[in-house]
Amino acid sequence: MVLVLALGDLHIPHRAADLPPKFKSMLVPGKIQHIICTGNLCIKEVNDYMKSLCPDMHVTRGEYDEDPRYPETKTLTIGQFKVGICHGHQVIPWGDLDSLAMLQRQLDVDILVTGHTHQFKAYKHEGGVVINPGSATGAYSSLTYDVNPSFVLMDIDGLRVVVYVYELIDGEVKVDKIDFKKTATTHSMH
Amino acid sequence: MVKKQVPEWLNSSLWSSSTSSSSPLLPPPPSDTDDHGGDDDRLPPLSSKPAPSMHSYATSPSYGSSTVVSDSRTKPPIPVSPPAIVREEPPKREVKDVRRDDDNGTSPNLSSGPSPEEISRQAQLLAELSRKVINIGELRKLAAQGIPDGAGIRSTVWKLLLGYLPSDRSLWASEMAKKRSQYRHFKEDLLMNPSEITRRLDKSSGLENDEAKGEGKGLLSRSEISDGEHPLSLRKASIWNQFFQDTEIMEQIDRDVKRTHPDMNFFSGDSPFAKSNQDALRNILIVFAKLNPGIRYVQGMNEILAPLYFMFRNDPDEDNASSAEADTFFCFVEVLSGFRDHFCQQLDNSVVGIRSTITRLSQLLKEHDEELWRHLEITTKVNPQFYAFRWITLLLTQEFNFADSLHIWDALLSDPEGPLETLLRVCCAMLILIRRRLLAGDFTANLKLLQNYPPTNISHLLYVANKLHVHPSGQSL
Repeated sequence: MVLVLALGDLHIPHRAADLPPKFKSMLVPGKIQHIICTGNLCIKEVNDYMKSLCPDMHVTRGEYDEDPRYPETKTLTIGQFKVGICHGHQVIPWGDLDSLAMLQRQLDVDILVTGHTHQFKAYKHEGGVVINPGSATGAYSSLTYDVNPSFVLMDIDGLRVVVYVYELIDGEVKVDKIDFKKTATTHSMH
Repeated sequence: MVKKQVPEWLNSSLWSSSTSSSSPLLPPPPSDTDDHGGDDDRLPPLSSKPAPSMHSYATSPSYGSSTVVSDSRTKPPIPVSPPAIVREEPPKREVKDVRRDDDNGTSPNLSSGPSPEEISRQAQLLAELSRKVINIGELRKLAAQGIPDGAGIRSTVWKLLLGYLPSDRSLWASEMAKKRSQYRHFKEDLLMNPSEITRRLDKSSGLENDEAKGEGKGLLSRSEISDGEHPLSLRKASIWNQFFQDTEIMEQIDRDVKRTHPDMNFFSGDSPFAKSNQDALRNILIVFAKLNPGIRYVQGMNEILAPLYFMFRNDPDEDNASSAEADTFFCFVEVLSGFRDHFCQQLDNSVVGIRSTITRLSQLLKEHDEELWRHLEITTKVNPQFYAFRWITLLLTQEFNFADSLHIWDALLSDPEGPLETLLRVCCAMLILIRRRLLAGDFTANLKLLQNYPPTNISHLLYVANKLHVHPSGQSL
């Protein structure tokens, strides 16, 4: 039972001041084992805050990040799953399923976490699953101003993942979940 | 004149505990004492004045009193007279132990083979156990004398004494099966983590099937969650929230389990056997903590659990040994039921709490040995809490080596009045046995001594404790 927090595109301090207070009250240290951050934090203070929630943090570089040392992509293994991270501004067209699937095959991962569009999405294709946690602060994106703050918490338990989607809609936190399993023999998701 | 309150037989060197391994305290024929080479430097000052004898406690307490010199002449009759006072067996055993005492005075019975008394006791116990309906009172009496280690019957006797097994042999199988399955259910209910719980709930409500169909491409469908149950939930009733609140206790239990008896291969080390034992201990403590939200887990419970689990796991009967975890759980609950209040911090100052129990010990000591009591509490101001707290809450598991504490537990568990009474008597006996050293010591020395109780002959200790029971306040003045 491994809890993995996936979020990104906070754009603090340029486009947003802070995480919504309702989100902040839920994110307490001690519950989460890993944090995956797609990028665009943008400053070191946000990095430190997230490190305080969980010491095991993985960040990739977004185009507005002030720390140049983040990698463009990253892969890690959590439990039985291979997880890949990329901000997504490198993949053109932005948010296109087929292009992201190409990236996923290149990275050879089961779950690909990307951002940049500031919209929550969860796609499935033969190669695996692509998850976009959206923007945790609700910052405007290059594409749209209408953004709901959202992030994702994955509960990885053996070959099964439960993805809890947290969205702030009209000032209320709404939580949904998505369930999927990985078949042990094949590399793809079914 | 000083020693009036304590009977002479108690003062005799025959009963004293050994101090250092170098000095052979207990010479077989008493008449050798005067000629003993090592005593030369001690005896001359003794006959002149008793004061220097107080300072010779470092060498040997038994020779530190002037009465011994006079006693040595009367020693031969002494081993004979105690049998007249109490049962024949223990003193005879004492003498035998004493003569065999070439190691440090700890119970040597294991190494040197069973004595005739042991064998007869073993036979008696086996006879009692093989009866169709066991007389628990009779079993208690037999067990109080000590259960021999040889025949592996201790685990069965403990189970009977703690009421886990009924006295009717024919009911044993069904009772054990019932209890073991009950423990299995506890484990299933309480040791599941929230992911598994949600999975089970989903399975039962039929949501599981959706994603198994294996579509090629497309957006994954979102489903609603029930009751706002998500991992970051801050609701009190949320299983996730409760799980995270329990992790603190789980970590505490885990730490303590890893630290239990690090010197024993049974409990610690990297072998799979040790790991499985640690897992069993952990499970038992977690189940107990979850079933008892009042006291949860307190540090020290692992020490009380260890001897029980050790005994049951080493049961020669295969079936029993494999279900040791379940059996230990129920017996642990039973043992702890008498002592629960000691672990509850709020009850510390109440009538049932640990402070009042320590006061009772103090009173007991005052009854039996007022001089020592006065010296400890008033003169040197050694607050009994400093030493008795650990003795009482951990049931003396930390004061003696493992084998000895098992013997003490035989006596504790066999007391019909409950283990607490016997425990207090044993603690009192522990104090009385080293009274000479305590009377000679100041605060620091006494505290050091009491917190690292010297190795003693356990059967002797239990004998003295038993005597305190028989003669309540007959010794004073």
